[in-house]
Amino acid sequence: MVDNLYAFKKDLGRKGIFFCFSGPISQDLLVEIGATLKQKMKLEEASNSTVIRVFSMVIEKAQNIIHYSAEKIPKDEAEKKEEELRHGIIAVGCENSNYFVMCGNMIRNEEVGKLRSKLVKLQKMNKDDLKKYYKEQRRKDPEESSKGAGLGLIEVAKKAGRPIEFDFKKIDDSFSFFSSKTVI
Amino acid sequence: MDNLIIEATKDSPDIRFDQKNNLLEIKGESFPENAADFYSPVFLWLEKYIEQLTDQDVTVNIELIYFNSSSSKILLDFFDMLDEAADTGKKITINWIYDEDDDESLEFGEEFQEDFNSVRFNMIQKDAAGEQTNAF
Repeated sequence: MVDNLYAFKKDLGRKGIFFCFSGPISQDLLVEIGATLKQKMKLEEASNSTVIRVFSMVIEKAQNIIHYSAEKIPKDEAEKKEEELRHGIIAVGCENSNYFVMCGNMIRNEEVGKLRSKLVKLQKMNKDDLKKYYKEQRRKDPEESSKGAGLGLIEVAKKAGRPIEFDFKKIDDSFSFFSSKTVI
Repeated sequence: MDNLIIEATKDSPDIRFDQKNNLLEIKGESFPENAADFYSPVFLWLEKYIEQLTDQDVTVNIELIYFNSSSSKILLDFFDMLDEAADTGKKITINWIYDEDDDESLEFGEEFQEDFNSVRFNMIQKDAAGEQTNAF
């Protein structure tokens, strides 16, 4: 494994990925990831608006993992801890001078249909449609199962330079793996 | 009633609500893990504050470099409350302060501005030195 690590890093490099994290994602971690990415992009002289766009995509997507990933370390029943740690993958890279953010996490098979419909719907919208849809949804009360405002995906689609790419891979009878890529 | 002071953290803004001077300010970045929980004391305070308002001029300064989608919903609810108060005759002015290079913030501000008819909603542009360069 240790001698393959360099090959793994090179492979990431070939794909344009300069940041990759796979594991339990916490709010604290994402705050630091965000700050480091901002630093790096500023050093590369990315424009302020690009920096904020990439930053906001990483935050929205990582927070989606924190709220919705089905892969989690179980709650500590004995100590009645409220927190759970959710697992996912985040990768940030640059191809053809465009930054991109890829994210992946497990979801329950029952959730796939609804999420897929939502994504297909977003893919078909142009910038103006997305802005309008965002405003409409923001006015509504969030759904029962929503932990934020239910607006994260729309926000991401709005900021992206092209339609979201996504994929669902069935893992077993209970879970699928959901991955998405958004390009700025 | 007491002022509300919530110090900024890495993922939440600086909140200073001064009841005596009728100046409410939110500055910084907002992307807490649970926006509803974080902002709940803000709404509780605002409700009490509005109730005791008579004819004072209230200024609300919002200067957010970045806010996540959950925070965006919170802002909408916050402005709703202020707009309703303005509807009942309270004198409230909201200033959306944004950097001259920040198109996103300008856009967000303008969208909020479109939504509210009773409260005064101003767009205030500032340059890198923090000087006001434009207002509309």
